[in-house]
Amino acid sequence: MRALGDIWRVLLGVGVFVGALLVWEIWAGAEESFLVPEASEVLTRAWESWPTSEFLTAVAGSLKRLAAGFVIGAAIGITLGLVMGTSRATRQALDPLVELARATPPIAIVPALVLTLGFGDSMRIALIAFGVCFPVLVNTLEGVRAVSPEARDTASMLHVGRVERVFRIYLPAALPSIFAGLRIALSIGLVMVVISEFAGEGGGLGHYILDQQGQFAYPEMYAGILFLGLLGYGLNVLFRLFERRVLAWHYGATGERNG
Amino acid sequence: MHARRLFQRVNVTGWLFVGLVVLLAELAIQVFELTDSVSPPSETLPALGEGIASGELSGALRITLGTYAGGLVLAIVVGVPVGVLIGSSRLLLDATFVVLEFLRPIPAVALIPLAFLFFGTGSEMRRYIVAYAAVWPILVNTLYGVRGSDRILHEVALASGVSRFGRLVRVTLPAALPSIATGIRVSASIGLLVAVTAEFFFGSGGIGAYMQRQQLAFKLPEMYAAVLLTALLGYTVNVVVRLAERRVIRWTGEERVNWP
Repeated sequence: MRALGDIWRVLLGVGVFVGALLVWEIWAGAEESFLVPEASEVLTRAWESWPTSEFLTAVAGSLKRLAAGFVIGAAIGITLGLVMGTSRATRQALDPLVELARATPPIAIVPALVLTLGFGDSMRIALIAFGVCFPVLVNTLEGVRAVSPEARDTASMLHVGRVERVFRIYLPAALPSIFAGLRIALSIGLVMVVISEFAGEGGGLGHYILDQQGQFAYPEMYAGILFLGLLGYGLNVLFRLFERRVLAWHYGATGERNG
Repeated sequence: MHARRLFQRVNVTGWLFVGLVVLLAELAIQVFELTDSVSPPSETLPALGEGIASGELSGALRITLGTYAGGLVLAIVVGVPVGVLIGSSRLLLDATFVVLEFLRPIPAVALIPLAFLFFGTGSEMRRYIVAYAAVWPILVNTLYGVRGSDRILHEVALASGVSRFGRLVRVTLPAALPSIATGIRVSASIGLLVAVTAEFFFGSGGIGAYMQRQQLAFKLPEMYAAVLLTALLGYTVNVVVRLAERRVIRWTGEERVNWP
């Protein structure tokens, strides 16, 4: 089979996508069910609803909580990962507890968080941080454990202090792995945003979707889901750009291009 | 001998630490009088035992396990063949990548209100939503596994006159197996999260719905018993999946030893 050129490839992909939208349009038109609005209607409503203040407030609220939860969760994950990675005793003591906590589906802690923190932002941020923390922890731990024995030996031979060793050897060496964890954590964080907004009042994109469903505004509900997907996609693209910047030295040193 | 080996493999310090945390939680809850929002372990554990003995909690667990397993199997049955198909043809990959990249970032939990409209609150809705959430990691990992399979092995098989189907079963699938296993491991935890979440917000049965009922009735020990059971379920799923994965990877590891 002849390989296609780059432009043809993209055109083919976009063409199939548009074709799928057309199939949806025709199918929804034939179905005549109010549960399945036509693709064109969803797109029109999406276009109409995004500049409204209701929608923009929802997105801003979601993003704010995601940012707060992500930073807190990542900080806890990286710290615990560094401590567990550099101290054998701590690792052994904390391992079963961490395994239990990270295997727990985060929805299970929602009732407990609601009872202790109420329905407000702190409950949501705590849930997001809980979901974000574990993939970061596991990847940090793996990154630290993979530091070469030569680097460890050199550090101890040169009498580099414990704290300095963590910041100048383990952290930089684990950074690519930490970023891999952060990337997984970002998409899990978005899932947590939605779950936390399903619980109770307080706005956000997840609550917006639920609201539209409750008001039988199905095209708007589809549009909300669509925007959530776009948000996830956009955040991932931004994160990759950020990652490439921060890890530029790493790619330079190892000759790796796409991490 | 056997007991000693088991003793070495079980992380005694770690589990003692878990016990210590439970004790501290009990103390803190009693001393600071937090019983309004948290039930102490001394009440949660009996409630867990009672819920299982009375069949109420164990029935909920059975419902959750049924929809979860059904959804996961559906995701594997769909995800692996589609992943193999797309992964083995450059043309198909080019044709589908925009659609895949468009659908993949949509968090499956956001589709729960939609699935509820189509299928109601029953277990059917939950099975489909679990399947939808679980299919992406399986599909994408299978796809990459197939694309990453060894070119040289393919050429050798082709030159030796192995049929298309033979190449699929004997070259492509074994090479992609570790990736597929990774995909299933990721799906297993996402699927469980989505199953319990759907039960919690829209479900008529299962642990999630039980948990929510107890929360509304303000029966804290019963609620925390369900939380504990969910955590144990997640832990068990993790252990089982990882053991299965280790078996698969060890087997393929032997197959690929020292391949230049």
